[in-house]
Amino acid sequence: MIGKNLKHDAATTHVTGESVFIDDREALGSEVHIGLVTSPVANGNLLAIHSKDALAHANCLGVWTASDIKDNNWGAVVHEQPILVKDKIGYMDEVICLFATDKREKIEEIKKLFSFDIDELKPVLTIPEAKEAEGFIYKVAKPFIKGDFNAVFKQAEHKLSGTFICGGQEHFYMESQAAVAYPMEDGQVEVHSSSQHPSETQRVVAQALGVPFHKVVCIVKRMGGGFGGKESQAAPIAAYAAIVSRALNCPARVILTKDEDMKITGKRHPFENDYEVSFDNTGKITALKVLLQADGGAYTDLSASILERGLFHIENAYYLETCHIDGVVYRTNNHSNTAYRGFGGPQGAMTIESILEDIAQTLKLDSYEVRLRNIYRGEKQTTPYGQVFENNMLPPLFEGLFSSSDYEKRKIAIDCFNAKKNGKVRGISMSATKFGIAFTARFLNQANALVNLHLDGTLQVSTGATEMGQGVNSKIAQIVAWNLGIDYLDVKVMTTSTEKNHNTSPTAASSGSDINGAAALSASNKIKSRLTSLAKLHFSGAISNDLIEHEITKGELDADIVFKNNKVIQLSSKKEILFTELVNMAYFNRVSLGGYAHYKTPSLGFSKNSVEGKAFNYFTQGTAVTEVELCEYTGEVKVLRADIFMDLGRPINPGIDRGQVTGAYVQAMGWVTSENLFYSDKGSLISHSPTTYKIPSIQDTPRVFNVDFITNDDNHCNVVRSKAVGEPPFLLGISAWTAVKNAISYRSKTKLVNITSPATNETVLNELTRVKNV
Amino acid sequence: MRNEIILYINGERHALHGEQAFMPVGDYLRYIKGLTGTKIVCAEGDCGACTVLQARVIGDSFSPYISVNSCISRMYLLDKCHLITVEGLGKSIDMHPVQEVFVDQHGAQCGYCTPGFICAMAGMANDLKANGKEKTPQKIKNYLTGNLCRCTGYEPIIKAGMELNLNKVEKLSLLYNDEKILSELIELKGDVEVKFLDQHVYLPDDLQKAVAFRKENENAKLVSGATDLGVVANKGKLILNEVLSLNNIDSAYEIKETEGGFEIGAKASLDLCEKKLEKDFPEFSSMLHIFASPQIKNIGTLIGNLVNASPIADTVPFLMVANVDINLIGPSAERTISINKFFKGNYKELDIAKDEIVKSVFISKTDHAYKLYKVSIRRDLDISSVTFAARYKMSQGKMTEINLAFGGVGPIVLRMPELEADLMSASFDSTLIKSIVKKIPSLLTPLSDHRGSKEFRTQICQNLLFRFFDEVSGSAEASV
Repeated sequence: MIGKNLKHDAATTHVTGESVFIDDREALGSEVHIGLVTSPVANGNLLAIHSKDALAHANCLGVWTASDIKDNNWGAVVHEQPILVKDKIGYMDEVICLFATDKREKIEEIKKLFSFDIDELKPVLTIPEAKEAEGFIYKVAKPFIKGDFNAVFKQAEHKLSGTFICGGQEHFYMESQAAVAYPMEDGQVEVHSSSQHPSETQRVVAQALGVPFHKVVCIVKRMGGGFGGKESQAAPIAAYAAIVSRALNCPARVILTKDEDMKITGKRHPFENDYEVSFDNTGKITALKVLLQADGGAYTDLSASILERGLFHIENAYYLETCHIDGVVYRTNNHSNTAYRGFGGPQGAMTIESILEDIAQTLKLDSYEVRLRNIYRGEKQTTPYGQVFENNMLPPLFEGLFSSSDYEKRKIAIDCFNAKKNGKVRGISMSATKFGIAFTARFLNQANALVNLHLDGTLQVSTGATEMGQGVNSKIAQIVAWNLGIDYLDVKVMTTSTEKNHNTSPTAASSGSDINGAAALSASNKIKSRLTSLAKLHFSGAISNDLIEHEITKGELDADIVFKNNKVIQLSSKKEILFTELVNMAYFNRVSLGGYAHYKTPSLGFSKNSVEGKAFNYFTQGTAVTEVELCEYTGEVKVLRADIFMDLGRPINPGIDRGQVTGAYVQAMGWVTSENLFYSDKGSLISHSPTTYKIPSIQDTPRVFNVDFITNDDNHCNVVRSKAVGEPPFLLGISAWTAVKNAISYRSKTKLVNITSPATNETVLNELTRVKNV
Repeated sequence: MRNEIILYINGERHALHGEQAFMPVGDYLRYIKGLTGTKIVCAEGDCGACTVLQARVIGDSFSPYISVNSCISRMYLLDKCHLITVEGLGKSIDMHPVQEVFVDQHGAQCGYCTPGFICAMAGMANDLKANGKEKTPQKIKNYLTGNLCRCTGYEPIIKAGMELNLNKVEKLSLLYNDEKILSELIELKGDVEVKFLDQHVYLPDDLQKAVAFRKENENAKLVSGATDLGVVANKGKLILNEVLSLNNIDSAYEIKETEGGFEIGAKASLDLCEKKLEKDFPEFSSMLHIFASPQIKNIGTLIGNLVNASPIADTVPFLMVANVDINLIGPSAERTISINKFFKGNYKELDIAKDEIVKSVFISKTDHAYKLYKVSIRRDLDISSVTFAARYKMSQGKMTEINLAFGGVGPIVLRMPELEADLMSASFDSTLIKSIVKKIPSLLTPLSDHRGSKEFRTQICQNLLFRFFDEVSGSAEASV
């Protein structure tokens, strides 16, 4: 059961179109649609809202502004972001007010009837501008310091310095933000939300309405993709639905269009990281100093943790003897940037991958050799934040992929190809991932699960995990089915709802299966314990009847009693009973067939004030080699081949995990090549739909794409010795960008390749032109 | 005159009067019929989540099933069509083979793009089967270029396609009783006109009637595949109240091949152009290969791309250097004009009267060679930053004839008479090219936008001329 390639629990309904997403819910009775009216400026003071014309429209049923909201501020960490603009406008297209209509197709028409009086101010739109204005959101409490950077750097033979710059990224989940709220009796409200974080959504809705938390239920059946974009920012959207539904006492639905979603919601943080590095003749880094600088956008959101994860991943797979790592998040007048797969980790790791490419070019060495010289070795080396890096799989991952991808031969072939000069130039690069698994805020590393065992032997399992395609439901079902020795299809993971599982953490940080799977395992063990004790009584010949009852409250697991093939077996006596028979026996003896458990990831704790403790439970690791071809006339980038080698411990479902790996790689490949967020000089997002914002298409996926997993049975610190997979392979897409750097370096006689990310054709062509000009 | 739109959806007859006739197809499916498997994501025909399959009665038979974007189409454009949605292909208890392989190969993750992929791949299977062709990874990709997926990285979807057993796939025309449906639809002759409040659509059955209507209704928009106007309307930038559509004019769908060339009808799709012109204009055909998505090419027309008159219309540079003739039909007469006069020089300004309609385009077969380049941020399914077209003849190391055009670098697609003269002025060598390339910046007026800065666009034009030289001369040493 564990390690089996079973189908995704919703695969059948997905492929037939039967799966129900928010906007697929049938409209109930007098249900209304909500329109959002947004700011035409990026910075300013809102003086007046003119909604008279809109209210006069036959299909406009009401208008709501900040003053209609009890607690208008929300924030995952800092309670500062307005649900609707009250007076200060933070960014272009920030939501100012809501209206309701009985006709969805009238939304655009009504929207045009609003106008605002605004005292417009000059916006701060870039990191350098924010730096000058000293607009900070967050500064790292204490830098990560190892050794004496200045001393080592001063005496070093080779030095480089510069700024690594990468752009943001639109999540482009296919299902835009959506919610529908139903008013219930006694002031209660039921909100169906496309949210990665139902507990947060419940809280924000309750506070916006000014009702206690127990009057709000947030339900998440599934999302049409999340990628972090629905971790915090789904909550205000759900609040819009709740506010209108409450006011009109009817169901209210808010469905953002793709254009609205892209303009209103936050994205991956752009970073500009200043660095100084020294290294020896072999390419080994001797000292590294980095100041990570992120564009947080208008509000704090999760920016502080995202910056910190950038710091935590600055060294990526490479051991640093001496370093000084610091960071800051700036406040700008851009949309409030938020969680996105990797959560700052990619922006940190890409910095050192870029540096390693530069070192290789400087020393005229192959970048693989340089990387191999720098990777963590053994089990005792410590990270820049003081955690000992255990279960180090990096050396076999590097060496294994080097040979399986035929790196050496292909490198020679590329040398020959590039020597010919036919308007094309190729490059190759291997990069790595060593992604820390755990929320760095310790309190989030908890989960709870509820397991209901029915009399026909089937189970319903509920946790706080939300399903967004990543297969967390399937994995939880596999864990429970395996634990009870029953069929996969006899376990159904149910709709996520805050009335079953509360105070849950977001399905984020790749931890969904880890913590919710562990909680479900523990909850199912409560039932299993009782059934084990009951089975022992039964096998011992004890009788129960109308007068005598088997008394079991807690029960206890026993290695002699195994659950297998829908049977419960006593190994010592070879006696067995059908699982369903035992379940019925339990029921008639009034033994509980329900299990609830709470789980917390053990022995975590990191202090950012003193930079000590254990930040991560373990690390998911992997390597990737990418080969690209650039067109020298146009700068176009083509990814010819990608080979990936990953350590996922003992994968629960290798089919699902493989899909996570290919999906993450291609998503990252898009981030570093074609996905270019383009803004007007007033801070308006111009690339706000797929016509203008280019995520990879099926033609862009690597022409040759190999994915393999390394064997690793030793991840004892996680449920069924598996490893988290959601974010770690995202970092492997960075190799597409380092391969572009490598390709350009073939056309450079002396100049160090210096490109930003994404490597669009314009970026590539400009750099090719620059390096060719001697 | 019929006053209702008649079509079939998953084998079921629908007759639409009034408001419903004007709805976007995706909205009708989802909100009126509860067929919510079809998803609306971008509402601009760029992501494919709304893909459904469509067959149209033209003449006395159904055209083959094609994949289309339901989000940008309108119900009145589907008169005499049979639409199959994801629900119509199979249910969980009785899945279509494409649905089965998607389940087995983890082709679906979040599930939101999935129904669109299922329809597109079912269309592919139907095509390959009908044409007796085998599937390859590249072919699968070509059929799915118009479907975006953010979860899988596409690899599991390509695998699903490769695992598909075509022998198990039934013809789409057999899923429902298309023969019986045809027998009814074939009887629907004459014009169709539907009105609802201030909305009005007219579907004549011949061009003369269309022209007459256009004379009476000057504001009526001529809507063909709605691949552009449907998008603009969806984004609230255009109200499509009065519409004239040529969809029911059977003869307009044709591409007539004669000895001298091809006459391409007003309704001939880009897909048909790609296929029919492949032998005689392989360069154009392969440019169409990376043009838009299958869903758009199946329904968008060459003439639509032409009269839209955008400076980044991908087909126009080719049509200009090929010097095609435009056949216009007006209330009293027909006339023919060269494309190079059809574009009058200012942004979107064409030599066409308000009551005229482009009936066809004529492309002559000649012995010229062509080079066509398209540069965009993403290679496939993206709007160009710059396009380049050249038609030429060489003799003894010299250009004896050359037509050049650049798109994306001015208010219209630009012909380059000065460069053309220069190119023929001396022997075609790198000295000549280098001197010509230097002139380019002064001849262009590109804009800076999200598809590239003006400097980038200018440099691309220069580099494309180098590329043209390198490819034509076969020089070993690239000029860039």
